[in-house]
Amino acid sequence: MRTSSFTPALHTEWIKTRTLRSQIGALCAIPLTTVAFSALAASGTDGTDSDPLFSAFFGVSFGQIAAIAFGTTAVSGEFRNGALRVSLASVPHRGRWFAAKLAVVALPVLVVALATGLVTAALGGALPPSGPSPAQGLRGALGCAVYLTLMALLAAGLTTVLRSGVATLSILIPFLLIVSFVLGDLSGNPADFLPDRAGQVVLHSTWDGALGPWTGLAVAALWAVAALLAGAWRLHRRDA
Amino acid sequence: MTSIDVHDLTKEYGSRRAVDRLSFQVLPGRVTGFLGPNGAGKSTTLRLLLGLDRPTSGTATVGGRPYVTLADPLRRVGALLDPQAAHGSRTGRDHLLALAVSNRIAADRVDEVLAETGLAPAARRRVRTYSLGMRQRLGIAAALLGDPEVVLLDEPSNGLDPEGIVWIRGLLRALAAEGRTVLVSSHLMNETASFADHLVVLGRGRLLADTPMRDFIDARVHPRVRIRTTDPAALRTALARHGHEAVEHPEGHWTVSHARVDDIGPLVSAAGVPLLELTTEEGTLEQAYLDLTAADAEFAAPQHLRHQEA
Repeated sequence: MRTSSFTPALHTEWIKTRTLRSQIGALCAIPLTTVAFSALAASGTDGTDSDPLFSAFFGVSFGQIAAIAFGTTAVSGEFRNGALRVSLASVPHRGRWFAAKLAVVALPVLVVALATGLVTAALGGALPPSGPSPAQGLRGALGCAVYLTLMALLAAGLTTVLRSGVATLSILIPFLLIVSFVLGDLSGNPADFLPDRAGQVVLHSTWDGALGPWTGLAVAALWAVAALLAGAWRLHRRDA
Repeated sequence: MTSIDVHDLTKEYGSRRAVDRLSFQVLPGRVTGFLGPNGAGKSTTLRLLLGLDRPTSGTATVGGRPYVTLADPLRRVGALLDPQAAHGSRTGRDHLLALAVSNRIAADRVDEVLAETGLAPAARRRVRTYSLGMRQRLGIAAALLGDPEVVLLDEPSNGLDPEGIVWIRGLLRALAAEGRTVLVSSHLMNETASFADHLVVLGRGRLLADTPMRDFIDARVHPRVRIRTTDPAALRTALARHGHEAVEHPEGHWTVSHARVDDIGPLVSAAGVPLLELTTEEGTLEQAYLDLTAADAEFAAPQHLRHQEA
């Protein structure tokens, strides 16, 4: 019963995603911004004093904005003009509806970001003289896919909690662009556990903080899960 | 046959009771008008019925089951709540297609309801370009998508052009004639009178009336006879002799309250009163409704407050 009712809900959410230009646009912006900014950064460095893997994956800092925009707009449309009521009238089981919604946030980002990561790694590996090793490049590609997926889910969860895309973007984007930047290279402090700092360790050749590549992603995943649980709770408790 | 049962339903927002111990039943095969001023709790009741809002207490069921327990609910219940709900950037057809897929409704049905609601030519346009009337039609198309036994429409005539209003009237009557359960909320009396067989009237979240529309009007508005004559003195004398009183109106006609043409006609004819017009003035739903709400003192008192809210 449960699985048989989930497939139609999933199909519906996929139709809703692919029929919105803003959604397709945000998805396309993930590879475009990531690859473009990575290439731009690579062309401006001599590759000696910086982290070779992060130089190659520099564009992820910008690609994550697109991933966040995708996760936010997928949910924010539901909180306008009673759209959620139409959605929940067709799929009254709120957990099932939310799971379907999150699946069409996560899966497209995962696929697109993995392709983006592989292209970025290939471009970075081709760079003389000291690009990342193939093993590092593969880790970066996988990390890029998982990290961007987690950021899209974090944004989707936060939008469900706040019931507003504008509110979500005005928290997340300044947070990612300013707070992390201001905290800069200060490592070995609690800032390492912020979702973006933790999640981006996987994009570095070397690290000296408390978190490694995979533990960092695990911390980012905890943030995303917390936002999603808060969103699910809000969705379950509140009148639609 | 699927009926709607609302039992002892209460919904509080903070300290305000939007719906107050409401009980009524909506039966198949007729159009039930759901009346009340803005803020009376009509939309809240519909949301509670669809499981979108959680009741403070009481139950609302469709065919004996809560809406949220229905499998593929759009095949059982179709609802229009807000014509603005469709995303402006999506085409009308894609909006309906997404809904159809969620309840395993064949995609052919999308084109059927688009044709039925007159939206076929606009189907591949973005909803943002639709007029309010077209959005209403899209919302009605969504409600009809699953060919449901129960149809709930919240203010469906809003924004429709005159042609659209005639169309929805016919549609509602046809749906009821097919044996469906049709509940249509409105705050427009004349509009409701044109399609409803039965009325459920709310005031401040409470049930004020649950009766057939004809009974509702007849119980509250007394029949009157309207007369025009060239000899008012003779008219008055003839009526007075039989205990009727005629009231003159500035427009030049006379009315006799609590009377029927069957009584007044022979009477004035026998007296030789020259007549220009002799007609029955049927009570209107609006008169009956105002009579009801005026009778409900607590309901009528804070009228000015409600205006401010609106």
